[in-house]
Amino acid sequence: MLVMSRRQGETILIGDEIEISITHIGRSRVKVGIRAPRQLQVIAREMKLVREENLAAAAGSDAPALSGLIARLNPRTANPPRR
Amino acid sequence: METKNFGKISFEPESELEFPQGLPGFESRKRFVAVRFVESDPLLYLQSLEDPGLCFITMPILVADPQYRLKVAGEDLQQLGLPSSRQPKIGQDVMALTVVSLHESGPTANLLAPVLVNLRNRKAVQAVVQEPGYSHQHAILAEETETPQALAQEAPTCS
Repeated sequence: MLVMSRRQGETILIGDEIEISITHIGRSRVKVGIRAPRQLQVIAREMKLVREENLAAAAGSDAPALSGLIARLNPRTANPPRR
Repeated sequence: METKNFGKISFEPESELEFPQGLPGFESRKRFVAVRFVESDPLLYLQSLEDPGLCFITMPILVADPQYRLKVAGEDLQQLGLPSSRQPKIGQDVMALTVVSLHESGPTANLLAPVLVNLRNRKAVQAVVQEPGYSHQHAILAEETETPQALAQEAPTCS
């Protein structure tokens, strides 16, 4: 990974169309300004992970895996009373 | 309300959860209810009120990790209508749920981004926490090795 040192207010260019500015440096966080073509999605990496995980969570339903999970979490329901 | 997985469910209007921003990947889905069944306790199913087929399996985050420490960004606290001057307390200010994924390698919980519900106004947000080290795929039960003899029967599924 290329690592560059920048001061507050300074900018990095990626190609001709992407501009990254360090707009504020706080104690533990920096604010970064990003100028990029509209068709490029700009998103925090964690958000991408969360989005993918949500899509996987909503898509998948594996009844035996789910039952197994419940049995492990709550042994009381492992042998449900007959109704 | 007719749902894909549970048939007809009824709920009190005041138990509706409002996600002003939706959830990542499902930004247009803003209204959910948390459904609980005796036979699948402690799981909670987060059922969309706008899409009968959309449902997440969740559980209280303290079940997945009893030591979980909540550290929420100011923007997310604002979304919830909570003061950003202090961190919310689980069970007092907010309900904190973790979304469960059933991967082939085993069930995982998303500790990176818990679903937080303001207990006073039912506003909800899936917030990426400001605490390094929490995984979006935290293995549940990985530390246990024994396989239960009997599996729970008739657990409602959710896809």
